[in-house]
Amino acid sequence: MKALWSSIYAWADERLDLREWVEFAKKKTVPVHRHSAWYYWGGIAMFFFLVQGVTGVLLLLYYRPGPEAYDSVRQITYDISFGWLVRSVHSWAANLMVAAVFVHMFSVFFMKAYRKPREFGWWSGVLLLLLTMMFGFSGYLLPMDELAFFATKVGMEIAASLPWLGPKMADLVRGGPDVCEYTVHRFFALHVVVLPVAFTGLLAFHLWLVQKHGNASPPSEEAKPASERQTMPFFPNFLMRDFAMWLVAFNVLCVLAFLFPWDLGPQADALKPAPAGIHPEWYFMSSFQVLKVFGQWFPGALGEMLGMVVFTAGLVLWFLVPLYDGTSASGRRAIRATWFGLFALAVLVLTTIWGYLAL
Amino acid sequence: MNYPFWNVPYIGGGWVIGLIAIFHVMIALFAVGGGSYLVLAEQKALREGRRDWLVVLRGHSKFFLILTGVFGTVSGVGIWFAIGLANPEATSTLIHNFVFGWAMEWVFFIVELTTAAVYYYTWGRVSDSLHVKVGWLYAVSSFFTLVIINGILAFMLTPGEAWLAVAGTGQEASRFWQAFFNPTYWPNLAIRSLICASLAGVWALVTCSRIDGAKEPALKTSLVRWSAKWLLPTFVLLPVALGWYLWTVPESQRALLRLGISTIGSGMFTQVTRVALIVVLASASIVAVTYFFAWRSPVEFNFSQAMSVVLLALIATASGEYARETLRKPYVIGRHMYSNGVRVTDVPKLNAEGYLTRSPWKVATHDTKLARGEAMFRGQCMACHTVDGYRSIKRLLGERNREAIGNLLTILHEHKPDSPYRAFMPPLVGTKDEIEALGDYLATLTAPEAAEAEKPEEKAAGMEKQTSAASPGRR
Repeated sequence: MKALWSSIYAWADERLDLREWVEFAKKKTVPVHRHSAWYYWGGIAMFFFLVQGVTGVLLLLYYRPGPEAYDSVRQITYDISFGWLVRSVHSWAANLMVAAVFVHMFSVFFMKAYRKPREFGWWSGVLLLLLTMMFGFSGYLLPMDELAFFATKVGMEIAASLPWLGPKMADLVRGGPDVCEYTVHRFFALHVVVLPVAFTGLLAFHLWLVQKHGNASPPSEEAKPASERQTMPFFPNFLMRDFAMWLVAFNVLCVLAFLFPWDLGPQADALKPAPAGIHPEWYFMSSFQVLKVFGQWFPGALGEMLGMVVFTAGLVLWFLVPLYDGTSASGRRAIRATWFGLFALAVLVLTTIWGYLAL
Repeated sequence: MNYPFWNVPYIGGGWVIGLIAIFHVMIALFAVGGGSYLVLAEQKALREGRRDWLVVLRGHSKFFLILTGVFGTVSGVGIWFAIGLANPEATSTLIHNFVFGWAMEWVFFIVELTTAAVYYYTWGRVSDSLHVKVGWLYAVSSFFTLVIINGILAFMLTPGEAWLAVAGTGQEASRFWQAFFNPTYWPNLAIRSLICASLAGVWALVTCSRIDGAKEPALKTSLVRWSAKWLLPTFVLLPVALGWYLWTVPESQRALLRLGISTIGSGMFTQVTRVALIVVLASASIVAVTYFFAWRSPVEFNFSQAMSVVLLALIATASGEYARETLRKPYVIGRHMYSNGVRVTDVPKLNAEGYLTRSPWKVATHDTKLARGEAMFRGQCMACHTVDGYRSIKRLLGERNREAIGNLLTILHEHKPDSPYRAFMPPLVGTKDEIEALGDYLATLTAPEAAEAEKPEEKAAGMEKQTSAASPGRR
């Protein structure tokens, strides 16, 4: 068996230069220190993305966008063998992926892994987060149940509140002045074609950068002399640990999907009044609450607009952090950026909790 | 209602049994498999002259003695307490049928506990061959405890036609052996034996993970790999044994599992399939972790990796036990006794004469209609449901009004062949008045304001009755 395997390997190696890859992977090292555990989160997020890809394709076999959307999801959940499982895994993996991306982003931020030469890694990462959230938003509507319908309606109304561009964009995405079956078609196209293509391309770029620059060490580690810093080979040591984390992630995902399968609410009816307590998914709760609060403080369109401005400004600041957090390049800790990160994290967590309490 | 009711708020009596049983089963099956592991490992070490193995095995046998001899036995007694309180009717039936089975088991228990202690305390004090003999005595006696308890556990799902033919006649014990070697006895024994072997390997890996790989790489490699091999039979044969088991369980139970494959509807009932899937997931993960971390990198195999295998084994055991228990629904003893302790043959009588009338535990408060309803709820529903915790009746009734509750109770009472509840729930028994009282009580749970309005009068009525009952004495 071993001889057969090595002859197959030799045959492939002759044509593909596999040895070069293995040598490269063996030479590559990963820093070992007390913050090393945070290195796994990018891989975990990617694992959930792969799960999304596989389960998404399986859902495509039965899902029918348009007027039959709700009925097809009802069949998937209540009639088709293991349909409920595929859908539950897809939905849970989506939520876990968003959570993993958030953890990954904040760990990168606080380890200051966005500094030179890793700026493009940070920018592509933030864009990947935004794409992930767009995945979530577009996927949420597809079952067309009551909650999805009204939450999307509210979400689109917020987008439409932007001056001049807002209403035009909202109409374009909705396929009309209101959420309807055309919206489902457009969200579907976005969810299964546009976003996956954009995401995969950007992810490839992101991963290439990680390979090129390697894992960044936090400033506390960089301050140590080279002789005190420890590393481990990427292949097979770190990769095995990565896979172990994937196994943990897979178990968590499956247990959630088995024990708390994703249910389907009543069919959306545009003529019915919106049920009480309509709210977006948890990862939009913070922005939803900020906009709501600004709306209360400044009545009328002004409030929502101001909210959007504050939110966009915060996002831009966040995005541009590698450009203004330069002091740490000299070895000193850039305390201002750390405070900004802590402030952003606190705002995100507190407004999310506030949002749920205010329902 | 021959016994007083044990009310455990939020989690219910079933989970008290469950929480004890999950840990007990895992330790008890280790006690059976671990005995064979110890003696076979010792024999191998002696045969191959590996004295360094013996040092590790001695440490493992101490851990084994403490875990199985203390935790295993105490939790076993805990199960007796819990089942006696939570399901006295079923416990009584089991004792009446299997008293000699348990007598035999306790003989083996005594031999098992004694030899476990002797085995540990005689390391290096008696000859190697005598020590191995003690080890074999332990292994055999502990396996026989499984052979016996397995008969009783399998009986509860499939008592078999021979026993059912005499059930309720007072002649049940005459069919002891037929009941014992019931239709699911052998597949059950096969499954449990395989799990015993794998748990022996899992716990041994915990001990092996503590060997210093830097100092003794050869010792650690050989022991970790040999222990990991104990999971191999389960990996290969468990799917076959599970298939055999499913082939022998009643068709209605198989249908229950199939239902959960296609839907998440039907309330809680499809949960059994989903929980069974966790067993598959956890078992596959155990194999993956053991292969990649123990087999492939034995020297680096560490304690936390070993504990993750233990945790996965605990999840698999817990899910397996939960699925097995749930699969028995609506019975606690297949086709003989419903999960709330009502015997199938008693149903017509209880419907005609009343469920509460025969209870020797009638108290003064039963005089009010709501209190009678509550007593019905406690007796017939709370074996599986709680008011507002696990399988919360409040949540399951949702926004049903009194009329809708009444309709539901009628469906449960009539227990027609096409009733969707028939596959999982016992029939509701009792007279028309009793069922009405239950309906009134349940309505107070879904509409608390209405209950508040009603309660003062009921309370006043109850107090009046109590006062008048007490006053003749004062006179």
